[in-house]
Amino acid sequence: MGSLSYLPQILVSGIGIGCVYGLIGIGFCVIYNASGIVNFAQGAFVMLGGMVSFVLMQRVGLPLPLAALIAIAGVAALGVVIERLVVRPLWNRNATMFVMILATLAAQIVVERSTLILVGDQPKTLPMFTDRPPLMIGGVAISYQLLWIVGCSLAVVGLLALFFRTTRTGKAMRAVAIDREAAALQGIPVSRMLALAFALSAALGAIGGILITPTQFTAFDIGVPFAISGFIAAIVGGFGRPFGAFLGGLTLGVIQSVAIVSFGAGLKNVAALSVLLIFLFIRPSGILGPAK
Amino acid sequence: MSILRVEGLTRRFGGLVAVSDVSFEVPEGRVTAVIGPNGAGKTTLFNLISGAMPPSEGRVFFEGQDITGLAPETVARRGLVRTFQLVKLFSDLTVLDNVKIGTHLHARGGLFAALFRPGWARAEEKAVAAKAAELLDFVGLGDLADAPASGLPYGRQRLLEMARALAARPRLVLLDEPAAGLNAEESARLSAIIRKIAAGGTTVLLIEHDMTLVMNTADEVVVLDFGRKVTQGPPDQVRNNPDVIAAYLGGVEIGHG
Amino acid sequence: MALAALPWVFAVGLVGYAVLAGGYLATVVSFALIYAVFVVGLNVFMGFTAQVSFGQNAFAAIGGYGSAVLTTMFGWEPVPAMLTGICAAVLGALIIGYPTLRLKGHYLAMATLAIGLITYEITVEWQSVTQGYMGISGIPPLGVGKWTVTSDRGQLIVLVAIVAVCLFAAARIRSSRLGRAFFAVAGSEEAARALGIDVARYKLAAFLLSAGFAALAGSLFVHVVGFVSPEVFGLHMVILSFTMLYVGGIGTVAGPLIGALIVSLLPEAFRGFKDYQDLAYGVALILLLIYAPRGLSTLFRRREAKS
Repeated sequence: MGSLSYLPQILVSGIGIGCVYGLIGIGFCVIYNASGIVNFAQGAFVMLGGMVSFVLMQRVGLPLPLAALIAIAGVAALGVVIERLVVRPLWNRNATMFVMILATLAAQIVVERSTLILVGDQPKTLPMFTDRPPLMIGGVAISYQLLWIVGCSLAVVGLLALFFRTTRTGKAMRAVAIDREAAALQGIPVSRMLALAFALSAALGAIGGILITPTQFTAFDIGVPFAISGFIAAIVGGFGRPFGAFLGGLTLGVIQSVAIVSFGAGLKNVAALSVLLIFLFIRPSGILGPAK
Repeated sequence: MSILRVEGLTRRFGGLVAVSDVSFEVPEGRVTAVIGPNGAGKTTLFNLISGAMPPSEGRVFFEGQDITGLAPETVARRGLVRTFQLVKLFSDLTVLDNVKIGTHLHARGGLFAALFRPGWARAEEKAVAAKAAELLDFVGLGDLADAPASGLPYGRQRLLEMARALAARPRLVLLDEPAAGLNAEESARLSAIIRKIAAGGTTVLLIEHDMTLVMNTADEVVVLDFGRKVTQGPPDQVRNNPDVIAAYLGGVEIGHG
Repeated sequence: MALAALPWVFAVGLVGYAVLAGGYLATVVSFALIYAVFVVGLNVFMGFTAQVSFGQNAFAAIGGYGSAVLTTMFGWEPVPAMLTGICAAVLGALIIGYPTLRLKGHYLAMATLAIGLITYEITVEWQSVTQGYMGISGIPPLGVGKWTVTSDRGQLIVLVAIVAVCLFAAARIRSSRLGRAFFAVAGSEEAARALGIDVARYKLAAFLLSAGFAALAGSLFVHVVGFVSPEVFGLHMVILSFTMLYVGGIGTVAGPLIGALIVSLLPEAFRGFKDYQDLAYGVALILLLIYAPRGLSTLFRRREAKS
């Protein structure tokens, strides 16, 4: 076990994974805000981001940037497919919240197992985006991948903010989030917004997956832990506030890093889950307090 | 002797004052009605009395004891039971089962009784079934005992909720618009039922819009408007009160007896 | 009326045949019966009381690992070990249930999922006790003193007896004051409180009962199989048990048994394709949830008679 004198290093690695948790958490919020559903299939999108990119690079021979873009688009499309095939029928039948959660969890399993059948259970990985040794700033090693992660995450978050604030579609989505019925009365196509929410959320998950895969690996079953971490990020940030989710993700990433150093890597999931429980029991509205 | 006394009850929701400094007493063994135009704060008042919502200010005294802010199940345990304006039946269950659940406070059986059915538990179950059937007959739903509660027409659903509340043997029962959805004949029957409840020793406090019912059934009427108490008194007196008439201007006619 | 008896006829017939036939069929039905115990508990919490828990596998793990450790490491007899495991699980449920059950909706769902996952991680990491991924083997079979049950048929008969008791208990609870209180909580918490029912207490009671059944199922599993590892009580158990609950009919008495039998036996047709099994469960569950949300059992009757 390391000592906490490496705190800056710990913070740095925590921020890296935290950005990815944050992106996933934003994905949860986008779907929740548009529909009130918690999408337990979120992890599948993360896994597929890295996996599809890998397959496109290995088997089709595409360069990484192109593979990544196609993967993101493909996963976004899958998000819409899940929304149409699983969520919409239940939505139309006024299914209870629990049934929705169970159905999305089942969808997660279906995607996982299909991936297992198609590509096998060997872990795969993606190459680092920039193949250079890490920067050394003040005794702290900062890899180029980390810079990519933080840079891309911030860019995505910024674009998302712009989208929600300035474009018509973005504002329409926000309207649906605030009051679905009123939005429908105003002529906003609510069901299309739902499909868009899933597409966005899937894309966010895929981007997160692509960013983090070079630093670890991807396999058919890495989805669920990421989904849980993303959910924790959303809760810690105050469920329903996308940018709170990003902060929540950073917080979780750092706490997890500290836990890994203090208690060993094995307990990192327990640490994350304990954070979740603590927030649920004590402050379910998150560190920023209730929305609005 | 007053079984219920509310003092200076006030409830604010942000900037909106739903109930404002309401004080009155409910005489024991009688029927008291709370009337007022829509939005006058009547259901909020019931929520404050029954513990469903804490007041912003004021106190509630039941049988001399301060019950302000107690949890609803605690208030029910003390003998104060209410029905709801938007009927809250156990819709997946039968009519009879709904009323049986009402007897919960006056039976004891727990896990041991459920699993092993000792003699006292079996006797208790028989008593529960009998009491529930008796109450259904009392409100006129006797032949619908095994029907699903969700299938009842709206007016009958309110009667069921009333029977269920009575099963808890309250000393004071709060009825929130029991006559909603009833026609004139059913309303008259309801009036008789309510008077029988009071005659049996259970004080009745009810909210109603049906003025004929109120005038025929209530011994005492409290009038609310915009969250404030306008006046209180016997039905005839209230009917002729100019403030009351003004409050209802353009609203429900205050019918003849 | 005859239609309502159909599920029972099916179940009794199937189980009876398995007892006579012995061998592999007996083993498969044994697993079904163990899961049936778990699902009975799930049904009390999620069917009768209409709550949500994605983490009851945690209590199965406590029961199972408790039993395994006490018998292998400390040489206890199986029956006292099982009872201790159940008590430990119920105690755990009491401690964690108190704060957890105050949550609602997807917060409750997530918290219970977290509990299940944390327990899984503990079974993996606490290697000094649980042997981690390697698991614990050499767990003694069910029995009292010298008399142990080792044959497929023998185990099946013991399990049949246990499942019968569990179903009987569930039926008894259902038609009692306790069951009525559960249904009241499910129907309308506000109305229940207005009638004097302490909703928080009854939710906790349902949770504890559910944990007890889960722990019993966990213990039975380890003694019947003789081996335990963290995967036994992982996410797979959650998905499987929910599929069984919905296939059988949530809130009914026969549902847990029917669901367990159907879900255990169908994949035997695809025995070679383990990877496809979970995929099939996932798809089947989605279709079920969309087209028969109250379960197959309720297609056989319009309304189940209660007390």
